[in-house]
Amino acid sequence: MTAVLLGLFLFLPMAEVLWHLTSPAENWEHLRDTVLGRYLKGSAILVIGTAGLSLLLGVSTAWLVACCEFPGRRFFEWALILPLAIPTYIAAFAYFDLIDRLTPLLIWVRTNISPEAMTWLSDTMVYPVTTVVLAAVLYPYVYLVARAAFSRQGSRYAEAAQTLGHEPQSVFWRVALPLARPAIIGGLALVIMETLNDYGAVKHFGVPTFTTGIFRTWVSMGDLPGALRLAACLMVLILFLLLLEKWLRFGAKFHKTSPSDRPFQRYPLGQAKAGLAILCCLVPLVIGFALPLSRLAYWASLTAGKVLDTTFLKLTLNSIGVATATGLATVMIALFLAFTARYFGSQAAGVTNRLAILGYAVPGAVIAMGVLLVAGQVTQATGWILTGSLAVLVLCYVIRFLAVAWQPIDAGMERNCAQLNQASQTLGATPARSLFHINVPLLRNALVAGGLFVFVDTMKELPLTLILRPAEFETLSTKTYDLVFQSQIPESSVPALCIILVSLLPVIWLNRQMRAPEL
Amino acid sequence: MNLLTLRSVTKRYTATDPPAVDGVSFECAQGEIVALIGGSGSGKTTLLRVIAGLEIPDTGEVVLNGTTLNSPTRFVPPEKRDCGLVFQDYALFPNKTVSQNIAFGKGAADDPARIGELMEMADISGLEQRYPHEISGGQQQRVALVRALATRPSLLLLDEPLSHLDPELRDSVRTELLKLFRETDTTALFVSHDIEDAMAMADRMVVLRKGAAEQVGTPDEIYDRPANPHVARLFGKTNFIPLGLLPDAPHSIAAETGEGQVVPARPHQWQLVENSNDGSTAFTGKVVSTTNRGAHQEVLLQTENLTLTIHIPGNTTVKPGETLTVSCDLKV
Repeated sequence: MTAVLLGLFLFLPMAEVLWHLTSPAENWEHLRDTVLGRYLKGSAILVIGTAGLSLLLGVSTAWLVACCEFPGRRFFEWALILPLAIPTYIAAFAYFDLIDRLTPLLIWVRTNISPEAMTWLSDTMVYPVTTVVLAAVLYPYVYLVARAAFSRQGSRYAEAAQTLGHEPQSVFWRVALPLARPAIIGGLALVIMETLNDYGAVKHFGVPTFTTGIFRTWVSMGDLPGALRLAACLMVLILFLLLLEKWLRFGAKFHKTSPSDRPFQRYPLGQAKAGLAILCCLVPLVIGFALPLSRLAYWASLTAGKVLDTTFLKLTLNSIGVATATGLATVMIALFLAFTARYFGSQAAGVTNRLAILGYAVPGAVIAMGVLLVAGQVTQATGWILTGSLAVLVLCYVIRFLAVAWQPIDAGMERNCAQLNQASQTLGATPARSLFHINVPLLRNALVAGGLFVFVDTMKELPLTLILRPAEFETLSTKTYDLVFQSQIPESSVPALCIILVSLLPVIWLNRQMRAPEL
Repeated sequence: MNLLTLRSVTKRYTATDPPAVDGVSFECAQGEIVALIGGSGSGKTTLLRVIAGLEIPDTGEVVLNGTTLNSPTRFVPPEKRDCGLVFQDYALFPNKTVSQNIAFGKGAADDPARIGELMEMADISGLEQRYPHEISGGQQQRVALVRALATRPSLLLLDEPLSHLDPELRDSVRTELLKLFRETDTTALFVSHDIEDAMAMADRMVVLRKGAAEQVGTPDEIYDRPANPHVARLFGKTNFIPLGLLPDAPHSIAAETGEGQVVPARPHQWQLVENSNDGSTAFTGKVVSTTNRGAHQEVLLQTENLTLTIHIPGNTTVKPGETLTVSCDLKV
């Protein structure tokens, strides 16, 4: 019962935002007629472009690494995940001058074609630029799941197809790829959610999207109801995407390929093809990791002396403190929710669990608005002023990242604890005893991993933090953002690098985990 | 003419371990059903995978239908080989329906009438739109079989085709498989660890041990004239009697100890006799233990210098410690 209520409570902010789809907003008609279409178009182009490019990069590199043999394959196997450590907004800042570099082209177009063509080009080229930058750091979501799916398939199906007369190319298109489809779509969904969540990169490159629209309407125009309506529209779009994902993954359970006893016999590549393969792996790695990291490192070496002071220490501690609190709280809540739903086999708790973890799909800015709404109602009812407190910030992170901790814990419980819980029940143990003596020790890895992931995600999080941070409260991510928008890009590289370094930890862990055969 | 010829095929997985397949040669005639038999680690599956092209042998030749598939200078990839393989776990594509699975093979979809016929013969008509996880294990196997046959291979390879089936099903599946092979005029080479399956289905058998072929022959030849004690033991417990004690024996083999010749005598080839003076083939000893096996009793008999395992009728009562006299009749 408590679990059901807690689940519903965590879902409440998202429900509130949805509720505002129909609530009155005086400027709504104006917004709808002027900007809604632009935001929708901007978000759609960006999502389609980023998803498509991530798919291409992720699947091709995963296939090369999992199923072909070429020099450097083992290096690329782990290196290709590294871009995941770079948050989208930091990648965008690292490439801050990309658009400026294209100015000569614009001038050439203006003088040689027409001023209109130049305007069109400068409006249009932000899309490919942003798409490339986003895809370069988001493709690992696809790469990771596709690589795992390809290597889990093992040799069995490929061999069956070969003995039935199919060449390696045809094996890829007709067997390996269709079998990996559900997994790949799952990874693609994460790319899309991250794209929709992004605020820093699109703001920086000036792409009109829902997130920038919400901030603009609310902060610049002071139109809270309008911003809420926009957020509600975005929620609807996301719910639609979630349904689409479910539908596209249909049959996922039929695709449970039991682990093959024989690993895939990698296709050896000839010299020319091996060269192409290396190039294919090198491009995303350089664009998504090596280049931004080295630029940041270079700037950091120039500005570190100026930036590193007690204020910087303080905001680092702020970041670590908030992230630690969020990690612990999220893991505890996730453990409680998953355990009650599984232990008591409660359908209602199962449903509210799913509702509560929806936050992973909802952009931070939208959750922040929902939490503000709820906090406002609490203030109205009780007089307590919650807004602007750290507790609200942490709560908001918990809602956003609950799924990150919940999924490994729930999966671990299903795998390891279901029968044991029944056993301990028949031995007369109380639920609490089962939880602490059986589930917690057995799930230690999942708990640590979940906490670590939430910790890092919190460190990286930007839009939600921008909205909900208490006055004068700075974290590494908001500092990076602030410095960039004060045009102190070289200075911003120091906090940005700190975030990347911390983010590398779970990336390394994740890589080891995905390679483990049982996953 | 031989459909399939293997000439001293050797395959090593690592340089240090003994080879998985060690200089194996045998032939397989058109229309024949051949069993590759051996225990785990005997190299039988590796050999099958070499023929399918899924493993590349270090040395040796594989010739199918007059085409050299493997030789020191030549390797034909699996997809270009004129043979089909039924995997031990069937390897049906879980995301494709039964009919999509069957139509997947190169050229299989060109002849829908034949597919219908094959499915009819394999008794899986009506399952076309089902997914592999929706049908039983036996049906899955027949789908895998039809999928392999639908490409009209000259040679069908099967990896442990009966190992997933429970004992009651085995008999009927053996009969069905044989019928299907005969009706489609299929030359089949199958791997098995079960001597009964091999005896029941194969025209000829290749007995493998530690990667080497120990004996090639018809089931009768191998049963009656095993090449060595190991082959003899494939058929169950076997007594090895020094040739001196059974001088009239039609077949004898080198003893495992390396000293002299021994005669393999199976437990059922013994009878109780009333007295010991009616010939040189009688053995007298004390009963060590008896085990009731239903139709017969298995008796462990300790003679002066041999320990014999013999079967006596289930209705005879013997007790440990009793003295029995038995004689051996190698003709039964």
